[in-house]
Amino acid sequence: MSILKMSNIQKSFGDNHVLKDISLHVDKGEVVSIIGPSGSGKSTLLRCATFLETIDAGTISYDDRNAAEMKNGKIAYVKNLNDFRHVFGLVFQNFNLFPHFSVLKNMMDAPVSVLKRDKNEVREECLTLLRKMGLEDKADSYPCELSGGQQQRVSIVRALAMNPEILFFDEPTSALDPELTGEVLKVIKQLAEEKMTMVIVTHEMAFARAVSDRVIFMDKGVIVEEGHPEEVFGNTRSERMKQFLQNYNKD
Amino acid sequence: MTLMTIITKMAEGFEKTCAIFFLTLLFAIPLGMIIALLRGSKFKPFSGFAKVYISVLRGTPLMLQLIAVTYGPYYLFGISVSRNKLIPVVVAFAINYAAYFAEIYRSGIESMPVGQYEAAQVLGYSRAQTFFKIILPQVIRRILPSITNEIVTLVKDTSLAFTVSYQEMFTIGKQIANSQTSFVPFIVAGAFYYVFNVLVSFVMGRVEKRMSYYKI
Amino acid sequence: MSKKIIAIILAAAIGLACLCLAGCGAKQGAETTAPEESTSENAVPMRFVMGIDAEYPPFSEIGADGKYTGFDIDVCKAVCEYLGWEFDIFPVNWDNKLIQLDSHECDCVWSGMTILDSMKEAGYVISRPYFDNTQVILVKDGSDIASSADLAGKTVAVMLGTSGEKLLNEELQDLTASFKELTTCDNFLQCFTELDGNAVDAVIVDKPVAEKYASENKGFKVLDENLGEEQYGIAFRSGDEAICAQVESALDALVADGTYAKIAENYPDIQGNLIFLN
Repeated sequence: MSILKMSNIQKSFGDNHVLKDISLHVDKGEVVSIIGPSGSGKSTLLRCATFLETIDAGTISYDDRNAAEMKNGKIAYVKNLNDFRHVFGLVFQNFNLFPHFSVLKNMMDAPVSVLKRDKNEVREECLTLLRKMGLEDKADSYPCELSGGQQQRVSIVRALAMNPEILFFDEPTSALDPELTGEVLKVIKQLAEEKMTMVIVTHEMAFARAVSDRVIFMDKGVIVEEGHPEEVFGNTRSERMKQFLQNYNKD
Repeated sequence: MTLMTIITKMAEGFEKTCAIFFLTLLFAIPLGMIIALLRGSKFKPFSGFAKVYISVLRGTPLMLQLIAVTYGPYYLFGISVSRNKLIPVVVAFAINYAAYFAEIYRSGIESMPVGQYEAAQVLGYSRAQTFFKIILPQVIRRILPSITNEIVTLVKDTSLAFTVSYQEMFTIGKQIANSQTSFVPFIVAGAFYYVFNVLVSFVMGRVEKRMSYYKI
Repeated sequence: MSKKIIAIILAAAIGLACLCLAGCGAKQGAETTAPEESTSENAVPMRFVMGIDAEYPPFSEIGADGKYTGFDIDVCKAVCEYLGWEFDIFPVNWDNKLIQLDSHECDCVWSGMTILDSMKEAGYVISRPYFDNTQVILVKDGSDIASSADLAGKTVAVMLGTSGEKLLNEELQDLTASFKELTTCDNFLQCFTELDGNAVDAVIVDKPVAEKYASENKGFKVLDENLGEEQYGIAFRSGDEAICAQVESALDALVADGTYAKIAENYPDIQGNLIFLN
């Protein structure tokens, strides 16, 4: 069963055609990595899936319910998008933690004030999550007191606290010093082992290869290659991806 | 006139100075927020109104606005001037200071990184929740030093109420000074304002300290 | 925009509107108790609000006890007593005195006010003059200035908005042109302080003010030369001829029964210039 289905997505910023008729589906328990050079449209695709950008044409559906579809040749979003927002979580490149909230409050506030869940129950859940991530001693810290890696781990557990069915990662390690990326990737790997459905936009090729069920290579607004990581990395067919991997390996 | 009489007389006026000060803050702080929100509105008539409001009230002297608010209604509509001068004085001060507060709020709101809005949106916060829970507390933290600046200025600006014969401390001080040909009332006035502002700075300093538990 | 934000804005706007309405309401309330309505004789005693400049000794000022006092106030009190009116004082802002008179904050301006033709032209009702005021030169003892001719090349101070300033800028333009500089001060105290501190060489000021200051402070003298003659009167709103006539007849009566002279005895500095007594 597909959790997310995006079909024939088009998106332009002015004259810049960023997404050209892209289709993508993600099944339950699947880990999909999206790779590609910068400007290829992979982050935009994620932002469209999470409604941070509105698409110009196409269909977006979660759990077989349409959130956006074409009506009379025009894109139409459903009125209450918040019903859909509870289905997914997004981890940003820059964490975007709320600096005036403690770690625990960052996690608890949305479940309590958006989902109207019981405060004590949410607190127990959040503390359990923090313990699992080895962050239990940071519950009362403020984001400014944490390292970049810890902040990104907190932003992951903040997304998890909403119990999403699918979790998106937008270059989760790009803003981190190299020595801090490991702890974040470890967490994502752990989630993959627990069969969390995830879509990861990343530049960490080795990681994408190791953790993904499927890899998508995007360039210039289209999906160039898609398939099992061994197939995509081990038996690259397209010239563009070969070139990309070559450039990448040079670094 | 003994120093004691001067101080007593001016202390009576100081109550009125305080009334202007606190009532102005009470109304100008929320009114400024409304103007700032209108200013940022995508609905053109709202943002246009706020722009004109800010431009006029910052572009004309407060003294003129005091006269306009106090005597304008009489000249335009024949409405008698209030015997309670505090009302037109506070209205004039509040609409004037709201314009300055609005611009401070706007600078604070515009300095917020877009990521904060996006994080809140993805987590499902409504626009009102995003503004009041996520954005506003951080904006307040950022603009507090500018607000303190305005508040200190307000303390001193209250003396402009003399324009419309509101018998606040400085008006009385001036009257005594010229009646008694003495500079003592001015020294007393200076002391009153200074002590008041030291208190204001102390209180605002405490507030800033309380809010600085996190780095931006 | 979300409904909640709109609701909050509306609530605040309504709150503000209420504040304004309350202000207007209070203003309208004040109107019903304004003095003109109760001029009919058998009604409650008429309330007569005297507009004063509280910074103009000895006509109107704050006394040593912190209460408003002065020659004009004493006379006005006696007039109100004579007429059976309720007496009240409103300290005006001198720059805005006519606006404040117009808008019923006071019922007259009676505070060493120079009668100007422009006031009559604007329709204000002006009483008969009661005081001959002259503009004089105040200098420090030992100054080499003995007359206006000696002011050439000197720095002179005058108070903003007084008849002295008007005189220097209009009738005596040539004299003013001979000054090194003309300093306008915000109040008399500032003029005198400038003189005392040698920032200016002379102050051009109303005679009674100059004499009172010279008598209370050592080291100053008032020159004999009169720069300009002018007279003080009482201003009423246009249409208030009847009130003006009542006040004038009361003044006549007070002069006749000696009350006026008795009041004047307390103000020796100005006694010599009171028209009704000389």
